[in-house]
Amino acid sequence: MTLRDRRSFRVALVADRYLNPRARGLDVIPILLEAGWGVIQLPADVYPSEVSKPLLEQVAEQTEEFHRHGYDVVVIGRRDGLKEALSAAGLPRFDQVDPPNARDLHAFLGRRPSPKAKLSPKRTARSATVNKA
Amino acid sequence: MLNQNAKTVGGARCPGIYSPLVDLLRECGWRIEQMPCPELTFGGLNRFWAVREQYDTTAYRRHVRRIAIAVAGAIEVHLKQGREVVLVGVEGSPSSGVSITSSDPRRAGRPEWPEGSDELVLGEGIYIEELRKELAGRGISDIRCVGITHQLPDHDQRAERVRLERIFTP
Repeated sequence: MTLRDRRSFRVALVADRYLNPRARGLDVIPILLEAGWGVIQLPADVYPSEVSKPLLEQVAEQTEEFHRHGYDVVVIGRRDGLKEALSAAGLPRFDQVDPPNARDLHAFLGRRPSPKAKLSPKRTARSATVNKA
Repeated sequence: MLNQNAKTVGGARCPGIYSPLVDLLRECGWRIEQMPCPELTFGGLNRFWAVREQYDTTAYRRHVRRIAIAVAGAIEVHLKQGREVVLVGVEGSPSSGVSITSSDPRRAGRPEWPEGSDELVLGEGIYIEELRKELAGRGISDIRCVGITHQLPDHDQRAERVRLERIFTP
């Protein structure tokens, strides 16, 4: 089963206005789809802080898990409170882009290094090793 | 739906975004609001595939209630602004199943079980159950809820599209 897993190990934290764009706004979903990035959506700007704060805590907790395992994480757009939520989860500042157009986002994503994370090959034989040192 | 990287190892059907549902929602003019994956932040990326009984603990319910409170707050904002909201779950999931979840009361210990063992049963996942309770506590009880079937063995993409079109077409 492990070998069929098609994950990319790449996760973008994306501002709502790029996922649910207004007319003529930049729509990042086709770009992220083509480039194979997963998305964690940042709370919409219309939410009051008592709604957005617990959502940002969830964003930070998910991000911490991906970062700890060596997934590549980037931020697309901005969201008030994100920096504080990530910092509270002990996370560093991730590379961020506010893309004015699709070409710039393509270029930003194209410059990303390979993620450190990868799937381990599935063990097929039962064996045990004992460290005798 | 938006992040296959959150799946249990072995379960990611595509690199990042699961496009059939996203495409349909956008064609039909719906906003997308992502719900967190409750299992990711509880068992982590290295969690085993699990059934409902393994997650049905006091600690896990406390965890999903915290997520349900956050999500219900966002849902309430949209409903107060007069928008319609549909919850989209994942059929077969012990947490996010809407009408099909997974169950096996005997599953425990070393994580090996016979290939093809049938754990799918009718019922809701634990997160969906807690989210409905949280919404009901806020006086929201008539919200529509639908599950996508892409991880079920008899998944038929064309049939699913027809079913979803009936729900999401204005």
